[in-house]
Amino acid sequence: MTDHAVFATTRRVLLVVVVVIQLGLTLPVLVTHSREASWVAFVLLSSVLVAGFVAELPAVIALPGTALVLVASILATTALPHAASFGPADWAFGLVGWYVLLLLIERPKVAMAALAAHIAFSVAWFLHDGNGDLGTAGVVILSGTSLQIGVLVMTRVLVRDARLAAEAAAEHDAARTREELARQREQDLRTGFAGQLGAVLPLLADLADEVVSAADEPTRLRCSVAAVQLRRLFAENDEVPDPLLHELTACVDVAERRGVVVSLAVSGTATPVPTEVRRELVAPMAQALAAADGRAKVSLLRTADEVRVAVVADAPGVLPDGGSPALVTVETSVHSGLVRSEARWRTT
Amino acid sequence: MADDVTAVVVDDHPVVRAGVAHWLSTAQPPIALVASGEDPEVAWTAPAESVVVLDLHLGGAAPAMPALRRLVEAGRKVVVYSMRADDDTALQCLEIGALSYLTKSEGADHLVQAVRAAAAGQSYTPPALAGALAGDRSETRPALSPRETEVLVEWFQSESKEFVAQRLNITLSTVNSHLERIRVKYAAIGRQAPTKAALVARAIQDGLIGLDDL
Repeated sequence: MTDHAVFATTRRVLLVVVVVIQLGLTLPVLVTHSREASWVAFVLLSSVLVAGFVAELPAVIALPGTALVLVASILATTALPHAASFGPADWAFGLVGWYVLLLLIERPKVAMAALAAHIAFSVAWFLHDGNGDLGTAGVVILSGTSLQIGVLVMTRVLVRDARLAAEAAAEHDAARTREELARQREQDLRTGFAGQLGAVLPLLADLADEVVSAADEPTRLRCSVAAVQLRRLFAENDEVPDPLLHELTACVDVAERRGVVVSLAVSGTATPVPTEVRRELVAPMAQALAAADGRAKVSLLRTADEVRVAVVADAPGVLPDGGSPALVTVETSVHSGLVRSEARWRTT
Repeated sequence: MADDVTAVVVDDHPVVRAGVAHWLSTAQPPIALVASGEDPEVAWTAPAESVVVLDLHLGGAAPAMPALRRLVEAGRKVVVYSMRADDDTALQCLEIGALSYLTKSEGADHLVQAVRAAAAGQSYTPPALAGALAGDRSETRPALSPRETEVLVEWFQSESKEFVAQRLNITLSTVNSHLERIRVKYAAIGRQAPTKAALVARAIQDGLIGLDDL
């Protein structure tokens, strides 16, 4: 795209140059030294001007166009009066060079070859014709072609710089996108954490404000619940083959640290469970484990159409409120000192 | 003395053999250990009515399924005692005809009950096995009634039959008969084995299950 822009601009400039030279410089010369073949060459060159309006020239236009220009060059040179090569009457020599550039600006190698052919023929004709001033010829050739080759080189440099700039810009954009993505992800994680910190933040606030005391049993229960919730939250983003079991194990681990003897039984094969559902499946069991003392049995059962997480535990105290789940069915009951809590999720 | 329960322990770890022997001898009433060793061949030296407590992983990498099959086909009553808790292995052992499948994390109580049940030609379903049956997704699994499934799941979850009985508002013996019915349904599917056939025949005789249920 950037190459295209450079070539299109250069061609537009070259078009202006060619038109100015052709109308402003060569036409007056041609009128005074008019010959039939010269006019044919002039018309041939003018017909190629159309190509100057095309932004990007395909080879099928550029190469035949160049052939026409070279034919015009031969016609114009051979039609010159005796010993007029490279003199004021040689209207075509510089103009043909600009036409070659106009047609072949994207193809520097072909352009160089065409220029070389044009110069070689002009020089050969000059030598064949004889009697010319060698010094004047050298100055005309050098000044004319060096400017044209300079334009060719400048265009290459511009193209290269444009490419480098485009790459730098793309890299900059990609960096900006990555930065924005990382910021977004971090923000999501933050909001996610804040949303699931659940009991932790109010508890910390109450402890800091000395509204509650760590010596009280209810506060200890709240701490216990918060510890299990936090541990589960840390486990939630781990990359593991069986995330639900991983989160259960994390909660069991916290309870075992508190001295509860927990046995964990797993049955059935792992099935994918969405994060939201996992949270709700684990929550009741985490609540019950936080309140448990003595022994607890945690079980995970995965049948063809259901995932069931249950806990049966010695829990003398009152269970903390588990909130109201939206995606799973929770059933909690107390039977002679044992609390049983089960969360069920239908996979189908 | 003919009613006395006897057992053989096949396990490659001396400590497990000693532990199991201790559990059996201290049970009330005690269960006599007539032989023990690390090779399944030792089971054949014991009287045919002895219960074989078989470890599935005897040194080699492959489980001792062929040994289990030979014992079961000869009508031996086998309780598989494995360190592995995966459902597939448990279900496979039941399919072959083991009367019970216990994981080594399950304690003395379950082992003694399983040996006693096996001596009487009955199945015993410990909680882990109940979990395996409840989570069974195979095509050939028998159809269980909702109540049977609930008993299986509750037993797996609580490890206490009293708790299951209380929760489902049924008696302890009803819990047991539900578990037995489930095992009979499992015994009626797949390959035939003398122990499985006996389990089914006996359940029908006792009126525990009708032919229509199978």
